[in-house]
Amino acid sequence: MTNPTNVQRSRRSGSGEAPLQTRANTIVKSADHATPLELSDITIRYGGGKGGAEAVSVVEGFDLTLHAGEMHCVAGRSGSGKTSILTVGAGLTLPTSGRVFWEGDSLESMGDDEIADRRRALIGYVDQGGALIDGMSALENVLLPAVPDGEVDQRRDMAKDLLDLVGLGRRMRHRPAQLSGGERQRVAIARALILGTRVLVVDEPTASLDRASANRIISILKDTTSDGIAVLVASHDHELVRLSDTLTELI
Amino acid sequence: MNAVQRFIRSRVLLLTAAILIAAMCLSVLVQSQSQAALNRTVDENSRGLYDVLVQAKAPSGALMQPEIANGTGGISFEQLEAIRKLSGTSVAAPISLVSRVTQNLESPRLEAMDFLGYNAGLAGTASSDQAAGATPPDKWPAAESVLADETRKYRLTASAVSSDGVSEQTLFKSTAEGTLGKAKLVEERAAGGSSIRIAAPEDETGIKFPAPAGGSEHNLFNVSVSLPLAPEVTESVVAVDPAAERALLGSAGDFLSPLEKAPPADARNAGAVGRYFEGLFTNGISLEELEEGPDFLGVKLKYWAPLMTQYQQAKRTGQLTADSQAIPLIVRSGTSLDLKYNVEIEEIDAAGKVVKDVGTVSRSLDKDYLPFVSKDPFVLSWPGSTDHSSLLGSSGNFNPGLYTPATWSTDFAAAPKYTDDETAANGAIEKTAVPGEWVTVNRLPEKSSNGMPVDQTQREPVDERSYRENLETGEKSAAPLAMVYGTFDPSAVAAAAGDVNKLPLGGYDPAPFTLVKDAAGTEVPATELEPSLSASGLASQSAGAITDYYGLAAARGYTGNASVIDAIRVRAKAPGSWKQAQPDVEKLAGEIRGMGLEATVVAGSAREDASIFVPGYSKDDAGKESALGTVQQSWVRQNAADAVTGSLSGTNVTLLFLTLCGGALLTGASTVSYIRKRRSEAGTLRAMGWTQGRIRRWVLEEFGVGAVLLAVAGTVLSLVSWSLSTALVSAAVLVLYAAAAFFAAQQLRHRDVIDQEPQHDERLIPVDSPLTFANRQLSTNKFNTLSLAVAVGVFGAAVGGLIALLIDIPRAAGASALSGLAAASVALPSILLALAGVAVGLVLTLVTGRFELIAKRQYLGILEAMGWNPDMLRQVRLFENALVGTVALPLGVLGALGIGLLLAPYAAIWAGVAGLVAVLCWIPIATKVVQ
Repeated sequence: MTNPTNVQRSRRSGSGEAPLQTRANTIVKSADHATPLELSDITIRYGGGKGGAEAVSVVEGFDLTLHAGEMHCVAGRSGSGKTSILTVGAGLTLPTSGRVFWEGDSLESMGDDEIADRRRALIGYVDQGGALIDGMSALENVLLPAVPDGEVDQRRDMAKDLLDLVGLGRRMRHRPAQLSGGERQRVAIARALILGTRVLVVDEPTASLDRASANRIISILKDTTSDGIAVLVASHDHELVRLSDTLTELI
Repeated sequence: MNAVQRFIRSRVLLLTAAILIAAMCLSVLVQSQSQAALNRTVDENSRGLYDVLVQAKAPSGALMQPEIANGTGGISFEQLEAIRKLSGTSVAAPISLVSRVTQNLESPRLEAMDFLGYNAGLAGTASSDQAAGATPPDKWPAAESVLADETRKYRLTASAVSSDGVSEQTLFKSTAEGTLGKAKLVEERAAGGSSIRIAAPEDETGIKFPAPAGGSEHNLFNVSVSLPLAPEVTESVVAVDPAAERALLGSAGDFLSPLEKAPPADARNAGAVGRYFEGLFTNGISLEELEEGPDFLGVKLKYWAPLMTQYQQAKRTGQLTADSQAIPLIVRSGTSLDLKYNVEIEEIDAAGKVVKDVGTVSRSLDKDYLPFVSKDPFVLSWPGSTDHSSLLGSSGNFNPGLYTPATWSTDFAAAPKYTDDETAANGAIEKTAVPGEWVTVNRLPEKSSNGMPVDQTQREPVDERSYRENLETGEKSAAPLAMVYGTFDPSAVAAAAGDVNKLPLGGYDPAPFTLVKDAAGTEVPATELEPSLSASGLASQSAGAITDYYGLAAARGYTGNASVIDAIRVRAKAPGSWKQAQPDVEKLAGEIRGMGLEATVVAGSAREDASIFVPGYSKDDAGKESALGTVQQSWVRQNAADAVTGSLSGTNVTLLFLTLCGGALLTGASTVSYIRKRRSEAGTLRAMGWTQGRIRRWVLEEFGVGAVLLAVAGTVLSLVSWSLSTALVSAAVLVLYAAAAFFAAQQLRHRDVIDQEPQHDERLIPVDSPLTFANRQLSTNKFNTLSLAVAVGVFGAAVGGLIALLIDIPRAAGASALSGLAAASVALPSILLALAGVAVGLVLTLVTGRFELIAKRQYLGILEAMGWNPDMLRQVRLFENALVGTVALPLGVLGALGIGLLLAPYAAIWAGVAGLVAVLCWIPIATKVVQ
C-alpha cells in the first residue's frame, strides 16, 4: 500500500448515520472513563529503518472510540492495516504516532509491565487462526492467562464453562493439533474471556472457516457484547460486517 | 532454479559444507604442518652427540659402575680401538673418572701489620731474587704496626661457615689465646760481622691454634698467625680423548685443543717437567713470560704454578718417583664455592675477660675459584692492617702467594641408588635417590704435614650422606701431578652438546642439584645448591676438569695400559634423524654387544629434569637424621623421542577426531534443519504431481553440489599434503556428508499419518507458572530439546577439551627439555584445533537452537498478547534454557572429563569444571540472546 487513504464509513446499529469516530488530537486523558478503548489520530508506518527501505504508511489519522457492549468491525482488503490497528489497540505494538487510551488512560504513560497487567485485566486478544500453544490441552490453553496471577485452579471451573459456552465442553482435553480451525478459534475466544475481559480484540475470526463454523464464531462474539463486552474485530466477512454495531472500512 | 542455485539458497547446506571443508583443512594443518614440525623438533633434539653408550659388564653380567677405588673402569684401550674400527662407527669417545681432587685450605693465615721499616740487611735478603717493580729504599714508609709496644693478650676465634644455598652451617669453631706485641729489629754481633733478626717482645707467647695449624711468627711486614684448616674442597676429574671429544662437541670443544697438542705420556714425566721449570727459574724469566706462561714442548703452560708447587711438595716428601706422570687438566671456569672463613679478634685481660673487641675479619671462597689455582693465598688481614709486602715488588718466587696445593685423592663418589617410582602421564618416571652409607666428614687429618698427630678435639666430625668415602690422609701417593692448561665454559659446552657434564654415565656424575622442596615437603624457591664443602652442603658436582687419556692408567695406579675406561660414547656413521638412523644404530650396538660390552642406544633419548627426594642427608651429634628435601636433577630418559612424539601426536589425532565428531553432529543437526525447511516444499511438489523418486533426486542434487565441493577440496588437500591421514579424513567427511544427504532424502518421503486423536495426558505437570510452562514446552518438543541439549553438551565438552589442552601444553613443555621444544612446535595448531572444536560446538547450538526459534517466537507472542509481562516471558526463556542446561550438564561435564582423560589425565578434573562452567554460562547468555 503505497498511498493509503482511510475512508471511514460509520453507522450506529439500528439508528444511524452519526459518525462514531471523533478526532481527539490533543487528548491526553479521555473525557469518558467508561470508554474501554479509544484510539486517537493513529498513524502506523513500517520500514524506513537502517536498511534504507522506503517507509510504507499503512494507517494515517485513525480514530476510534469503542464503547462497552459494542462490536466494531474494521474491514478492508488484505494489507489495508486491519491487524495493525488491532495490535495497536491491544497495546502489542506502538503506533508511529497517535494515542491509545484504555479506560481513559493513555498507554504512553505506562511501562511495559503496567501495559501487560492492564492488558491482562482489560483486553482479550484473539489472533488470526486462534493461535494456541502446542502441547497443551484446550483447557490448559484457556487457563494460560490466569497463570501470571496464580489463579489457575480458581479459574478452572470458569474455563470449563467457557469451553462449554463455545461448544467445546467435550473437547477440552484435546490438543491444538487435534482440533479443527474453527474449534481452535473458539478455544482462543474462550481463552480471551477467562479473566473477565472488557474488550475483546479479534483478528479475522472467520477466515478460512466454513460458513457454519463462521456463523458460530460470529454468534459467540455477538453474545459477548450482550454481556457488556466491547468487541473490536477485523474481518471482511460480510455477515460479521453486517452484524457489527459500527464499522471502519479501510481502503 | 538449478541445483547449484538451490544449494546456495540453502544456507544450512552451505554452512555445513563450509564447516566440513574447514575441518578438513584443519586436518591438513595438523597432519602435515604440525606433525612435521613435531617430528622435526623431536628429530633434531633426540639424536644427541652420540648414539650408543658403551659401558663395561662385571663378570656377573651386571653393569659395572665406575669405581676408581678399585682401579678399573672395565673397558680396555683394545676394546676402544675395536669399536673405532667397526664400519658403522663415526666417533668413539672414551671417558673415565680420573679422580676427585681434594683441595684443602691447609694454610689459611691471619696477618697483622707489624711493618718494621726498611732495613738494608733484611730487605736485601728478601729481595735477592726480586723482580722489577720493587720500591727504592728511600721511598719505603716509616715503620707502623697494629700491635702495641707492650704485649697484649688476644683471643682469636676462627670459624668456617658453609652454605648450601638455603641455610648456613658452621663447620667448625676453634679458639686460641696468646699475647702479641710489636716486634723489633735486633742487631747482634756475630763472628765476622753482625746479623740482623726480627725479635718478638720478650714476654710474647704468640698464638697457636691446635695442630695441624702452626703458630705465629714475625716477619718484616707483619705477624702471621696460622689458622685452622678449612674443610676440604673437592672436584671431580674426568679424562677424555681430546680429539674424539672435539669430534663430538664441534666448535664447543675447541677448549680441548691444547690437550691435542700435549706431549705423549712418555714425554710428560712429572720429574722432567718440574726440573725444566726449576731450570727456567734458575736461569731467570721475565715478568711478561711469567704472565703469559712459558712453553713446554710446544704447549703453553698458563697455569704452571700448581704443578711446580706439587712438584716441590712431592719432591720434599719423597713421593716423586721416576714414573710420576704430569697430567694436563682443563678446569671449568667460574666454579662457585661458598665458604666463609671468619676470625674474631678480641683483646682480653688475664682473667679472660674481653677488654676490647678488635673486630672480625672474613674471607669468602666465593668467586673466581679454580681448583689448584688461587690468585692469592688465603690470608685474612687484622683490622687496620696495610700490606707492605708489595714494596719488594714481584719477587718471581712462586711459593709466596700460593697455599699448599691440592691433595691428589683417589676417593670417589659412591653413587646414590635410584629407584623408579610412579610413571607420569607423559612417560616420565619419578625417581627416588637413596644415598649411600654414612660417612664422617669435617674430620681433621690424622697427621699433619710433618707427620705429627693432629688434635682431633678441635673439630666436631659430622656424619654425612656423602659420596666421599675412606677419608684418610697421610699415605696418599702423589704420583700424578696436575697441570692446569686452561679453563672451559660449561655453558658453551651445554649449548652445543647438552652439557658434557651431564652425560648419562650412571650415578657417579651427579649434576648440580636444585632444591625445590624442603625436608618437610614444603615448596621453596628453586635454589641451586652450591657445590659442597661440608656436612650441610651436597657433595655433588659436575665433573670439574677434563684431562686427556695419557697418564690415565698411571693416575689409577697402573704402570701400563689397563681397563681404565669407564664408558665410550659412540656416534654412528648413519646420517639423518634418530628415526632414520635407528636401524644402523641398533646394528652397531649389536656389534658392540658382541664384544661383551653393554651398549645402550641413546639415540631418541632426551634429557629431562627429574624430581628426587633425598630422604636422609645429615645426622647431628644426637644421631638425629635430617632430609635434604626434594631436588631436581637432570636425567636422561631412554626412548623419550618416541614417548614425546607419540604423546603429542596422540593429542593432535584426538583433537582432530573430536573436531570431526563435532562436524558429524553438526551435519546431523543441519540435515534436520534442512528437512524441516523443505518438508513443506516437498509436500507442494508432491501435490504438483512429482514422484517420490523425483523429489529424492531434487534433494540429492543439492547435496551433490556440496559433495562435489567437499570431494574437490579433499582431493586437493590430500594431494597438497600428500598425507594418508588427510585422505582418510577427507574420505570420512565425504561419507559423513553423503550419509546425511540420503538420510535427508529419506526423511522427505511422504507418509500417511493416522491421527489417533490422543487425549491429553493428565499425568503431565499442570501449567501454572513460567517454570511449568517451560517444562511443558520442552517435554512436548523432546527431539528439539534433546538436540539443543546435546549441542550445548558438545559445546561444554569442547570448552573442557580446550582448557585441558591449555593446561597440558605448559605442563608438557615443562616435563623435559625435549617435550618443551616439541610442545612449543605444536602448541598453536593444537590450540587452533581445540578452538575449532569450541566453534563447532557453538555453531551446533545455534543450528539446533533454530529448530524451535519460530515456534518459540510464536508462543512468546501469544503469551504477551495474553498479558504475560516481560519479566514472566524472561522467566519462561530462562527456565527453558536452564532445563536444557540441566540435561546438557551431564553430557558436557562427562564429555569434558572424557576428553580431558584422553588429552591430559591429570587435567581431567579441570576440564570437567570448565565444561560445567561453560554450560552454566550458556544458560543466561542464551536467555539474553533469544528475546
